[in-house]
Amino acid sequence: MSEQVPIETLHPTIRMLSDEQIQAIHNTSLDILSRTGIVMKNEKARRLLLDAGAWESDGRIKIPEHLVMSAIGSAPSRIPMYNRLGELTMPLEGGNVFFGSGSDCVFTIDVETGRRRKATYDDVYRIARLTDGLDEMDFVMSMSNPSDVPPMDVYIHGFVGMIRGSVKPNVYTANHRGDMEDIYRIACAVAGSEQRLRERPFLMLYAESISPLLYPDESVDKLLFCAEKGIPVTYPPSPNTGGGGPITLAGALALGNAECLVGLVLTQLVRPGTPFLYGMNTAALDMRSAIVSYGAPEWPTGMAAWCDIARYYGLPVWGAAGATDSKVVDAQAGLEAAISIMTAFLTRCNLVHDVGYIEYGSTSSMEMLVIADEIIRDVRFIMNGVEVSERTLAREAIHRATPGGGFLADEHTLRNWKWAQFRPRVMDRSRYDEWAERGAKDMAARANERARRILAEHDVPPLPEAAEEEIRAVLRRRAGK
Amino acid sequence: MADILQKIASKLYEGEDEEVAELVQQALDSGLTPKEILQDGLIAGMDQVGKDFKAGDLFVPEVLIAARAMHAGMNVLRPLLAASDSPTVGKYVIGTVKGDLHDIGKNLVKMMLEGAGFETVDLGTDVAPEAFVRAVQEHKPRIVGMSALLTTTMVNMKSTIDALQEAGLRDSVKIMVGGAPVTAAFAQQIGADAYAPDAATAVDVARKLA
Repeated sequence: MSEQVPIETLHPTIRMLSDEQIQAIHNTSLDILSRTGIVMKNEKARRLLLDAGAWESDGRIKIPEHLVMSAIGSAPSRIPMYNRLGELTMPLEGGNVFFGSGSDCVFTIDVETGRRRKATYDDVYRIARLTDGLDEMDFVMSMSNPSDVPPMDVYIHGFVGMIRGSVKPNVYTANHRGDMEDIYRIACAVAGSEQRLRERPFLMLYAESISPLLYPDESVDKLLFCAEKGIPVTYPPSPNTGGGGPITLAGALALGNAECLVGLVLTQLVRPGTPFLYGMNTAALDMRSAIVSYGAPEWPTGMAAWCDIARYYGLPVWGAAGATDSKVVDAQAGLEAAISIMTAFLTRCNLVHDVGYIEYGSTSSMEMLVIADEIIRDVRFIMNGVEVSERTLAREAIHRATPGGGFLADEHTLRNWKWAQFRPRVMDRSRYDEWAERGAKDMAARANERARRILAEHDVPPLPEAAEEEIRAVLRRRAGK
Repeated sequence: MADILQKIASKLYEGEDEEVAELVQQALDSGLTPKEILQDGLIAGMDQVGKDFKAGDLFVPEVLIAARAMHAGMNVLRPLLAASDSPTVGKYVIGTVKGDLHDIGKNLVKMMLEGAGFETVDLGTDVAPEAFVRAVQEHKPRIVGMSALLTTTMVNMKSTIDALQEAGLRDSVKIMVGGAPVTAAFAQQIGADAYAPDAATAVDVARKLA
């Protein structure tokens, strides 16, 4: 047979919102911005908005539609992210989905003792190294606020721990402009120059306003810094249902959309074309415990909705998955991670953070990271869909088979088994006797072993000496020496 | 000299059947004896496959591909092996018991046994006790292996053992049983010599019995 046009494979996607729903949320957001208004605590940003056509009334800044629409127009539709070696590894565009850890946990589960304790610099470094060694993880975040460094230097050490532990792109947090400047200095030293950093960014700032509608001075200042330098930034608000946002998801989405668009407008006013990652977080404020739930279905449901809105605007999009409210790595943890990861894939969220969080984001867990890595691999198999082609239809193999005799030793199996079947790494499919003989370990115990093995074996290229020198200089200056 | 044997073992491990056959021929041409090639080349390679499979580092298709390479090597050697160099660890009669048509698990055990150097006689599925008796008389195996997938058919393992007993053949063979519903306790209860929970273990157990 001559070569035929292949049958295209359908890859499953979901849509949460219809065009009409998106339009209604968008319209409500425009209303919130032009009628309700925001409270802007940063003077420079206030000036920028007023000079561009916003106005002030009732103590609020009111932003007209044309400012929003021209910002959407000038923002890039894609953010190519590089690793710190200068290789393009995370193009945030189209239907690409990338996963990574989260930032700023107070506690961690010690991988050696299993005990929950305050996180240290070493935890940032080690978790970054583990994340570097996990195939399905595309970027790193600090995962910890180190408790063993001077409080004003927490974010510097968080950043340094990440880039020493991993070459993967990172999403970082900072306290104020002073942190931003120091982190930027270090990043330029890693990249080689300021120019090179702008051309091949390996870092993205994560900052946020306070829902509802409050823009703190320092938070906005960090956002402006990124726009001034032209480096990527994400500014997702957290209109958690019943807390920072209305109890209903549609209201939370309309509010979160409005709040995020303010960040977008500011970056585009400072420098049109500033790479801005659109998104928000819609956790649920739990009505019994009053925690902000990281395993709640409101989050993935909201995520699929704001990903639809992002596509309507033509902007790359931020989300979260792979986190749990459970205090231990158990069935709840696996369940909440699997549902959110699957949703992130189905909705084609470009950058998915918070993988590896337990205890509603208060604690990091290496075991959770390893398990989420496995879930991502598993769900990716589903996303690949069903290839229908001559090689997969197995016409000849079926013709050859002895009825009842099976395909195990058939040439078609031997030729295709490696790609045709999913092979788990942490999930256990061994027979009972073998499982018992190997210590009758549950998933958490096996994940712990894999985490320790990766930590023992995985090497990460060191930072360039110029970067280490810059780190020393920054820390010396901060110590007042 | 030792180099080429090692190469045979490693090519067999990788499942390169054509290369294994060529290497076996080269080894013969260089003056190595068929027995040396068999023991330190082919069987050495297959042993490593077995070990790594058991450790979970290899998958079933990789074992089958390696077994195929072993066959390719054996095809070159077989005509040259003296009777005393018998390539087989032992003869093994295998079948799924009467009333049971399940073939796949039994086939897997058979292929793994062949990979480990056993010469197998496959009686197929739905094998009556009398057919097992006839096969033992004809082939004089060291081991008889029975498979069953159903709780309703595993009772025929006992009938087969009884038939072998009546024919006066029970003590001439070792009997192994396996299959999803079968347990070590059941094996003991019906008077089998051994039980294996999976194909890889079946090879180990068979080696001990042979």
